[in-house]
Amino acid sequence: MGTRSKLLNRPLKAFALYSLLLLGISIPAYVLVIDTIWVSELDENNLLRLEHSKQNLSRKELSRADIEQFNRVWGQLEPGFSIQEVQGNGLGQDSIYEVEKLDPEEEIHRMRGLLSYITIDGQAYQIRIETNLEETDETFLAVSFVTAFFFLILILGFILLNRNIARRSWKPFYQTLASLKSFDLAKNQGISVESSTIQEFHELNESLQSLVESNLAAFRLQKAFTENASHELQTPIALIKSKLDLLVQEKELSPEINELISSIQAPLSRLNRINKNLLVLAKVENQHYQEQEELDIKKYMDASLVLFEDYISDKSLLVSYDGEEGAFLRANSFLLETLLHNLLSNAIRHTPSGGEIHISCTKQSLHFSNSGSSALQKEHLFERFSIHTTDKVNSGLGLAIIHEIANKYAWKLSYQFGEGFHHFTVTF
Amino acid sequence: MKILIVEDEADLAKDMVKYLSNEQYRCEWAADFRSAMDKISTHEYDCILLDIMLPGGDGLTLLEELKKQNKQEGVIIISAKNSLDDKIKGLKLGADDYLAKPFHLAELAARIESIIRRKQFDSYTLIQQNGLSIDLAAKTVSVNDTQLSLTKKEYELLLFFIGNKNRVLSKSALAEHLSGDYADMFDNHDFVYAHVKNLKKKLKESGYMDAIKTIYGTGYKWELGANY
Repeated sequence: MGTRSKLLNRPLKAFALYSLLLLGISIPAYVLVIDTIWVSELDENNLLRLEHSKQNLSRKELSRADIEQFNRVWGQLEPGFSIQEVQGNGLGQDSIYEVEKLDPEEEIHRMRGLLSYITIDGQAYQIRIETNLEETDETFLAVSFVTAFFFLILILGFILLNRNIARRSWKPFYQTLASLKSFDLAKNQGISVESSTIQEFHELNESLQSLVESNLAAFRLQKAFTENASHELQTPIALIKSKLDLLVQEKELSPEINELISSIQAPLSRLNRINKNLLVLAKVENQHYQEQEELDIKKYMDASLVLFEDYISDKSLLVSYDGEEGAFLRANSFLLETLLHNLLSNAIRHTPSGGEIHISCTKQSLHFSNSGSSALQKEHLFERFSIHTTDKVNSGLGLAIIHEIANKYAWKLSYQFGEGFHHFTVTF
Repeated sequence: MKILIVEDEADLAKDMVKYLSNEQYRCEWAADFRSAMDKISTHEYDCILLDIMLPGGDGLTLLEELKKQNKQEGVIIISAKNSLDDKIKGLKLGADDYLAKPFHLAELAARIESIIRRKQFDSYTLIQQNGLSIDLAAKTVSVNDTQLSLTKKEYELLLFFIGNKNRVLSKSALAEHLSGDYADMFDNHDFVYAHVKNLKKKLKESGYMDAIKTIYGTGYKWELGANY
């Protein structure tokens, strides 16, 4: 992907380049045209002057000495004019020529000349009329300057016009763009677009609006589905639970039946936990739990430890907790609670009896380490239902929930194994 | 005492009626919004169990109606949604408790008992039962005027047992009562044995009758016998 430029600047660049090319080609064309006109005008002028001179010379009775005198005076008054005797009697053909001459200041001048012959008083004379012609390179320079000047004006005009067009015609487009950028599916609000008189923008806006609407509809449907699915599942689970509660009230149940009933409780709990966790995951993914507040991590951690104290003492676990006072975090309270409960219950479940759990938390991070025998498979650890344990009660979603919550708040979640300890770190 | 169960799931409602009905409680059932509204308007109850999602209307609307009619019934919201919003909204509207489905019937019974006690005997916070007396305000327990030193969990278990007299309580129900919603994160609830064992021991030492019976393979039962 190359560097990006604004759409409107693309034609501007092309227009500028095209103008530059065209104006560049126009310079020699202009020079050629000007030169041709210039030369033909000068030739015509020279010819007129010759006719005029010839007429005047023929009308007057001029002696040879007169003509010599005349040549000298005229040549001084108007350089480039001369009349000279021609030896022999043959009169040459009129001819036009171009010559470059050095003036006393050593500057080269291009001269356009006309050579003609006249017979006065039986003597043949050669008349030469020369006129200074503008040099081609000077013309070229002048034309170039003018062209460059107009090129600049042209570009300036392009830029101003472009900006003007951009401001007016593209305004609805940029508004649509801004509206799209601020669009958030979870807010459940469509986009607002300004109506445009430009066909393409109008169509774009219409398609975008219908796209957004259908997305919102799909999102609403998905949310409703999640809620409904959980409701539908929780009712049968609730029924099984209440039936079991009634069943154990029955008198004269054999110990075998009691055992059987009891052993249904564990998978039922697990089913319920999976259902609850799936719901939490779906809700986090669907951007529920958007409310946030400043939460004291230590307070939540303490509550978690109290809640699970029985399970900790049951396995004779040694738990150390080092929580920084006044470490506040901006998050959803239910999600922080869920994160901590899941991390702690995970550590409790997977630490062998008599093992150790160390928890530390600061403003920047939360660290859990618990004793274990071997490293867990890192790559699939946080995936849903990734089988990394033979634990009967594990919903397979606990770490996925931790991962999803960390993702939501852009917290970094990492796992390491070292020196007989699993280390889980959440960096805020 | 009268309990109204507002629940659209007939099976679940019947289970609740069956578990709760005894000498002490009489249960009525309303399966939809309309009949619940009728019952609330025409009868007085001691406690109402209210499902939020009902055919024909929102359970929370019923709650609002109750408060409008200035009824004093205790209300427990039972919801399958387990949504924090509903819980907060319900409690704000004046519900006394919130119980997410699925729940153990024993848990429901204990909550009902606690609410009725609170509503009906506002000043009378003493439970007395052949020699055993529990001061709910001070959270103290004594047997024949000798005070027992119970831990917080033993005290909670004792109340739970008394709220479920003569009923078999599964280990799972006891664990859930002590650890709340998160008990199902663990498969081992052996800590329940330890707490019950300690409670039994303390009651026995105080000279109280051996009310807690162990039901093999299932759990426990608070049994006072036919005479009590």
